[in-house]
Amino acid sequence: MTRPEDHDEILGKAYDARLMGRLWAVTRPHKQLVLISLALFPLTAAAELVQPYLIKVAIDHHILAGDWIGLSRVAGLFLLTLVALYALRAGLAYVTQLTGQRVMHDLRQALFAHLQRQDAAFFDRNPVGRLMTRVLNDVEAINELFTSGVVAIVGDVVTLTGVVVILLSLNWKLALVTFALVPLLALGAAYFRLRARESYRAVRLQLARLNAFLQESLQGMTVIQLFAREPQEAAAFAGLNGGLRAAQFRSTVYEASLYAAVEAIGSAAVALLLWYGGGEVLAGALTFGGLVAFIEYTSRFFLPIRDLGAKYTVMQAAMVSSERVFGLLDTPPAITSPPAPSARPSSMARSVAAAPAVEFRDVSFAYPGGDWVLRHCSFAIGEGERVALVGPTGEGKSTIARLMIRAYEVAEGQVLVGGVDVREWELRALRRQVGLVPQEAFLFAGSIRENLVLAGDGAVSAEELARALERAQAARFVTALPQGLDADVRERGVNLSHGQRQLLAIARALIYNPRVLALDEATSSVDPESEALIRAAMMALLAGRASLVIAHRLSTIQNADRILVLHKGRMRESGTHAALLAAGGIYARLYELQFGRETA
Amino acid sequence: MPPFARSATAAPAKPSADRVPAPGGGVYTESMSPARRLLGYLRPYRARYLAGVACLVFATAFSLAIPWTVKRAVDALTAGADRHALGVFALLILALAVLHGLARLGSRFAMIGAGQWVERDVRRDLYASFLRRPPAFYLTHRTGDLMSRATSDVGNVRALAGFGGTMLVATTLAFTGTLAAMWSIDPWLTLCALSPSPLLVLATKRFSHAVDAQSTAVQEQLGVLSAKVQENLTGMPVVRAYTMESREIASFGRLNAEYMARSLRLARTQAGFWPLMGLVAGLGSLIILWLGGRAVVEGRITLGSFVAFNGYLAYLAWPTVALGWTLAIVRRGMTSMERIAEVLDSVSGASTTPDHGSGAAARSALLPPGAIEFRSLTFSYPGREPTLRDVSFTVPSGSVVAVVGPTGSGKSTLGALVCRLYEPPRGTVFVGGVDVRDLPPAALRRSIGYVPQEAFLFSRSLRDNLRLADDGAPDERVRAAALSAGLDDEVEALPGGWDTVVGERGLTLSGGQRQRAALARALLGDPAYLVLDDVFASVDPGKEAEILRSLGAALRGRTTLAITHRLRVAETADRVVVLDAGRVVEEGTHDELVRAGGLYTRLWRTQQIEAELDQA
Repeated sequence: MTRPEDHDEILGKAYDARLMGRLWAVTRPHKQLVLISLALFPLTAAAELVQPYLIKVAIDHHILAGDWIGLSRVAGLFLLTLVALYALRAGLAYVTQLTGQRVMHDLRQALFAHLQRQDAAFFDRNPVGRLMTRVLNDVEAINELFTSGVVAIVGDVVTLTGVVVILLSLNWKLALVTFALVPLLALGAAYFRLRARESYRAVRLQLARLNAFLQESLQGMTVIQLFAREPQEAAAFAGLNGGLRAAQFRSTVYEASLYAAVEAIGSAAVALLLWYGGGEVLAGALTFGGLVAFIEYTSRFFLPIRDLGAKYTVMQAAMVSSERVFGLLDTPPAITSPPAPSARPSSMARSVAAAPAVEFRDVSFAYPGGDWVLRHCSFAIGEGERVALVGPTGEGKSTIARLMIRAYEVAEGQVLVGGVDVREWELRALRRQVGLVPQEAFLFAGSIRENLVLAGDGAVSAEELARALERAQAARFVTALPQGLDADVRERGVNLSHGQRQLLAIARALIYNPRVLALDEATSSVDPESEALIRAAMMALLAGRASLVIAHRLSTIQNADRILVLHKGRMRESGTHAALLAAGGIYARLYELQFGRETA
Repeated sequence: MPPFARSATAAPAKPSADRVPAPGGGVYTESMSPARRLLGYLRPYRARYLAGVACLVFATAFSLAIPWTVKRAVDALTAGADRHALGVFALLILALAVLHGLARLGSRFAMIGAGQWVERDVRRDLYASFLRRPPAFYLTHRTGDLMSRATSDVGNVRALAGFGGTMLVATTLAFTGTLAAMWSIDPWLTLCALSPSPLLVLATKRFSHAVDAQSTAVQEQLGVLSAKVQENLTGMPVVRAYTMESREIASFGRLNAEYMARSLRLARTQAGFWPLMGLVAGLGSLIILWLGGRAVVEGRITLGSFVAFNGYLAYLAWPTVALGWTLAIVRRGMTSMERIAEVLDSVSGASTTPDHGSGAAARSALLPPGAIEFRSLTFSYPGREPTLRDVSFTVPSGSVVAVVGPTGSGKSTLGALVCRLYEPPRGTVFVGGVDVRDLPPAALRRSIGYVPQEAFLFSRSLRDNLRLADDGAPDERVRAAALSAGLDDEVEALPGGWDTVVGERGLTLSGGQRQRAALARALLGDPAYLVLDDVFASVDPGKEAEILRSLGAALRGRTTLAITHRLRVAETADRVVVLDAGRVVEEGTHDELVRAGGLYTRLWRTQQIEAELDQA
């Protein structure tokens, strides 16, 4: 059996041309920034490389010659390079951050907008936590490409080339002696870096196992304590904990060895230069300042080579994140408006006025990987007709409401709104026509006003707002709030009562004012006073509209024009409350089950 | 009083073998400060730390000797030495480099390694204290929060005890060593070369304030942004129904832009700050070049000293740059130690700490068979209305009593109290004639087979999941228990049979299978008492009848409290107790209660309709 944590360790390539192409496409709008940073790199490298040269000049021409005035001139130049270098480095750091931040901003925006277009089945497949990781963390990892990945590698290459050229021009023999150490350095760095990376992987694996064990222990703590298994669990944990420590120590060994080896090779280079270069100085083939500059340049040569491996790892991580981000962006929305919507709300009202408001024709539906939820369901709701939907608990009822706004696609059959198949409607127009009020009165963080005016279309006047609140029986409690309509609603409306949330949900449905309403009544019980308010608000909301209410209230079924009974995915009964009760079928039993206590 | 009770009351007083002692041999006390607690964890590894510091002293000395040797070589060079003399210096440098490398390696292995041992110990103690926590603790502490303390906080402590400590010592040594070396060459030049340093300190202070404030602002905005994404994704049905997409995109756009603006403010500050380190180091070099160069011209110092000065300054550059970083590691580590201490600390008070005794003692000390009795039990969870009020009834030895009632009537709480998962008031819950408060939890729980409503299985093989009560149980016993729970034939159908890994990271069993596995797990321990909490909730009705038949034999002779909302199960019990809103409202046999016309009759009727609907 494979463990999921093993799969986290599949690392991709550090460079993937296709992904780089995609990344370049999102960077292109900011290409002037990229050009600026590409221009700043050689300048920075030049300013860095000029310093040892100035020291060489100072030693050879001024210090050894006893020329204090000339030395001051060189010192002045040195100061100039310092200031220039400060400005260049600051500029470079800011420009790379600016590029990265802008690209991240654009990517987040694109991802968020893309998510808004996905259908309900997509969100069933992708848990919220995973999508949040894509929008926030993965995008952040891509930023590393700009701040310490590709961009820094370009800088390193520029510096390395500069050093090579300068060393060769100072004394080519000595330069070759220095370069002789490079393969050793590169090999040593590559070896230890490789081993270090393997050991990091082992650490991550151990950590993932330990965390999984810990999490399971915390979740199953009652069982552990019930079976008095604390000693055994502590022993198992000690094994994992000790394993993690050992793995960590191994990675410390490799990492510390890497740094020690590179440092030792650096010092060896100094020794070699001193020995061979000193001879050259004695022979007059190299100036004294040249030797000092050589030692300086060599140290700048070794650092980028050492850190190349670290950058490789950064690149790898960024590539994995880009793969995920673009993978998400490449998931096309499964439900979209047709290319040429055949119906528009205005024309529709005239052309198919005679059609029922909503009609299900032989609809079958199943959630991915699940059993049939609806089987050959057919029914129609006439204009202005109030229909209540009842049935034992199960997915079927809410599914019917969701299919009405095409949140999911039917497997078989047709859903028609105003006589037109929902698949031929422009999506926005369809959802303007058919309003869905979900069971949970979901409120957003913000003001009450913002929660009432949800759709982004058209201004809502103060009178409209006041009227809607009045009709939804919410005016009393809203006006009682110190800030009224501007009162703060906290996340998910936790600072409001159940009843208040439901009244606000009804008020916003009134403002949205759809021609057809699909409403999933809340099951949570509220106090009798709120219950009366909600009942009155519901009456106002349903008045003059074709509606389908998934009923949990006695008053709703009693006031319905017609009741539909859904059982095991099929429409089993249809009729008025009295007629169905008299028939003594499924409805009669459901009625006793759900409302037996209220009537008793 | 049965003989068992006396030994049980004595048990908590004697120290247990499993309890992990606090570092330094003491027992945790509330008053210990995080710093002292950390020191307690470091103490066992003091030899390693001492060795590490000694290595660092050598490493610093060797590395400072390199510029010194370069100085002597340069001086010899200017004096016109030959190649042979240069070769000696070169070999000396090589030797010093190797020694330095080895000493530094030694220090890292010793100190960073010690930090990893400390991490292991802290995490071990944390886990041990998790194991001692009563269920009430887990009601107020979320798993995610505890996980983050056991992972990222423990990691921060490791960083402090390992890398942070190494850096702190290394930096101190580097500064004092370099200063001494430079001072011995030329005190005046040393002062001049270090004169820009106060500038660095000032700038660091100024910038670190700005950076702190700005990173907090960035983090806050990130919080706002992620709250927005989370709200949008969880509220997606509403977003879709009210065609809010464009509005949501716009409002996300505003928050996104603000996040970028804040990040850029921080980037601007950092872009101004980091190169400053290079600037200050460069100013030092400039001063050496200019004033040191003059000193060479004037003959006050040799050219070799000039070169050595440059070398020493370069040596200081890294510790200077890393200082702010090192201090951040220390700060983070101390904060994390405090957060860990919060969870470790509250281990106090023997009454809430189940004492498990040594394994063998707990195994032998099982309760003799007897009755389960509730006497005027009133119980409430902290800060809530009473869940149970004045509940009194008895489950006679060897008989089955079913407890039924609507959701929220307090049925499950009864079961949890029998196993002392929560503390009932004294004198209210008795098992085998003894107040559960006087029984050591481990012995009590081993004597009771408790099957909770949520059947939790571990990500291990099915066999191991069943053998929780007895690791060494032979396969025949495992199979017999599974047979009684109606699980046996299904195990054969699993891909790996008894070796199939189940649980979160294994094969997902159906709810009914999980419940039956939990039942088999409880039966395997051959307990004298059974508490079954809605064991058949997820089992389909056809299967239910079958299991009830096979279970009948397994329950024989065990005192069983069967909590259920399935009245078919209650029908098979010797007696039925009906709970409503925490009170016993009816009691009797199934037949009596069905005729009584009360709550039980209504529940019975409801289930009949449900059965009819199911057939419809």
